[in-house]
Amino acid sequence: MDITAGTIVLTLIWGVAIGCIYMLLATGLNIIFGVMKLVNFAHGQFLMIGAYLTWAISVAAGLNAYIAILVSMALVAGLGVVIERFTFRRVLGTEKLNEIFVSLGLIYIFENAALLIWGDQSQQIVSPFSGLSLNLQSFSITYDRIVAVFVVVAVLVGFGLLIGKTKIGLAMRATSQSNGTAKLMGINIEKIYMITFALGSALAAAAGGLYGIIFSFNAQTGAMPTIIAFAIIILGGLGSIRGAIVGGLLYGIAEQMATLFLGGIWSTAVAFALLIAVLIIRPNGIFGEKGE
Amino acid sequence: MPVTQQLNMFLRSKGFQLLVVCFAVLALIPIFITDSFFLFVFTLIFIFAIYAASWNFLANSGQGSLGHAVFLGIGGFASAIIGGKISIAIIGFLGVIQMPIGALSVLIQVSVLLVGGLISAGIGLLIGLACVRLKAWYLAIVTFGFSVIAGSLSSQFDSFTNGINGFAPTLFVPGGFPFYILVISFTVTSVAVMHLIMKSRMGLAFRAIHGNEAEAKMIGINTAKYKLIAFVISTFFAGIAGGLYVYFIRFVDNSIFSPTNSFLPLIMTVIGGLGTVSGPVIGAIFLTSVGQILTTQSVTQSLSTTLGPFFPKVGYVGPPLTYLIIGVILLVIFIFSPKGLTSLFRKFYNYLITEDKGAKTS
Repeated sequence: MDITAGTIVLTLIWGVAIGCIYMLLATGLNIIFGVMKLVNFAHGQFLMIGAYLTWAISVAAGLNAYIAILVSMALVAGLGVVIERFTFRRVLGTEKLNEIFVSLGLIYIFENAALLIWGDQSQQIVSPFSGLSLNLQSFSITYDRIVAVFVVVAVLVGFGLLIGKTKIGLAMRATSQSNGTAKLMGINIEKIYMITFALGSALAAAAGGLYGIIFSFNAQTGAMPTIIAFAIIILGGLGSIRGAIVGGLLYGIAEQMATLFLGGIWSTAVAFALLIAVLIIRPNGIFGEKGE
Repeated sequence: MPVTQQLNMFLRSKGFQLLVVCFAVLALIPIFITDSFFLFVFTLIFIFAIYAASWNFLANSGQGSLGHAVFLGIGGFASAIIGGKISIAIIGFLGVIQMPIGALSVLIQVSVLLVGGLISAGIGLLIGLACVRLKAWYLAIVTFGFSVIAGSLSSQFDSFTNGINGFAPTLFVPGGFPFYILVISFTVTSVAVMHLIMKSRMGLAFRAIHGNEAEAKMIGINTAKYKLIAFVISTFFAGIAGGLYVYFIRFVDNSIFSPTNSFLPLIMTVIGGLGTVSGPVIGAIFLTSVGQILTTQSVTQSLSTTLGPFFPKVGYVGPPLTYLIIGVILLVIFIFSPKGLTSLFRKFYNYLITEDKGAKTS
């Protein structure tokens, strides 16, 4: 393929669109980490389930895919509440590795349950804009990718308002700073944990819906996005929302540029090479605070 | 103390006797269980035991790697490629069709595996240098990143590695029982060496760093140096495990760098009990046997025929159902026994003892 200014701009836009989806996933992971100090390695499986639910709802009820995303967000939030209540709450605060293992168990369960329920064929969600694209002189870009960027911005603004302006957001921030003190101030920590986990799962489901519109997906789709989302919050600095946004964009652009210039086998490797380079210079991420 | 005297003391020590007993017991297992499937599972278990123990060794120095598959893969590729070149040279020199097998070929096999381990340790030194400032999650994701990069590099230089299509290494030792003996000799020595290092002064430094890096630095331990040493030792043994693995399954391709292989030693170690000598071995025994037995043809077949009709969308429900069961087992273990299987055994043992005492006093 010829590399012209047009293809570079196009790749940049693609990178931004994909980066936005990862950003949404990473923000969900980040808020769960920030408040609960829990790394949920099954986070990408919530993306996968969100994508399947969006697909199932839009097919079964004939709903507009973007409205189906909202329904699937609510359903996955409910699933998150159940998972948090019956698995993570029991191991929270015991040891980091137990939490990792519970999430590994959940990965096995979610992936195989999804495979059994929805089958082994890859699916793609049909949106109202499917097949339509914006044609400019030298390149064209599908509307779905542009819409994805706007959806992500809208969701993140809503999320920011929830965290910054509401009482629940205040309680979440307090818990993230010190759960012991928050408890003394009369905050019901278990309730906050539940809300946080539900919120994080809902963000993953939203990312899943958008992912399912742009790419085809199957039961194994969740694995790589988890690692990528994790890499993004590490790149930005653990617990920093700003970091997740910058990290997501950087990651998406690096991945797409690598595909353009070096070929598909390098897409993930270059993004990780960037991550390694950043961490060697700044061991706590771009916006990370200096650890103890 | 001179080295010979130390060696002499070691040969007379209880630990060495225990080692010999271990080796003898392990070597005798296949005589009683002649089934080739069990020999396969046992060999795999002891290869993974080295791998898990190497991960555990690194974790004991306060460094948790999520990219150990890099070293499994480098050890595997290096020993398979070098072994291939050597066998071609020998076959050409002797003018025969097949690699002759004898005492010398066993020596070649062992040295090829050791060279694989050394190359892995060399790369480990470089990666360790990059990782020495990183902690916890930051270290985990960087090591994971290296495993992704290793896979891409192996694809890029495919003409050298043949990693895309994969290839079969030439064995210098007959497969089956002789190979099993080779594997357990490596396992017993590797686990013992890692254990001895952990018991030594150097091991004390590792454990101090694991306990609290800042305090370790304060009492004068060169933390960067010791972390690097731990990285090199761990990656050496991971490389040996990789070589054994590749020669055992007689195939190597780029999928050896997969995240699954990186998570494997972690899962095994933690299931068995982190930071203990027996932990990684018990974890390897448990996970490998459960995984292998649950995925045998007969089990998946019977699951498919009984439960297949409930899931019309999937052609063959056996494997997903078995993995679903593995997931539930993992979940149950970690919710009910947060310190791994060894703690479960200990809990059970303590329970028995206290029951006994209760009986005596009453």
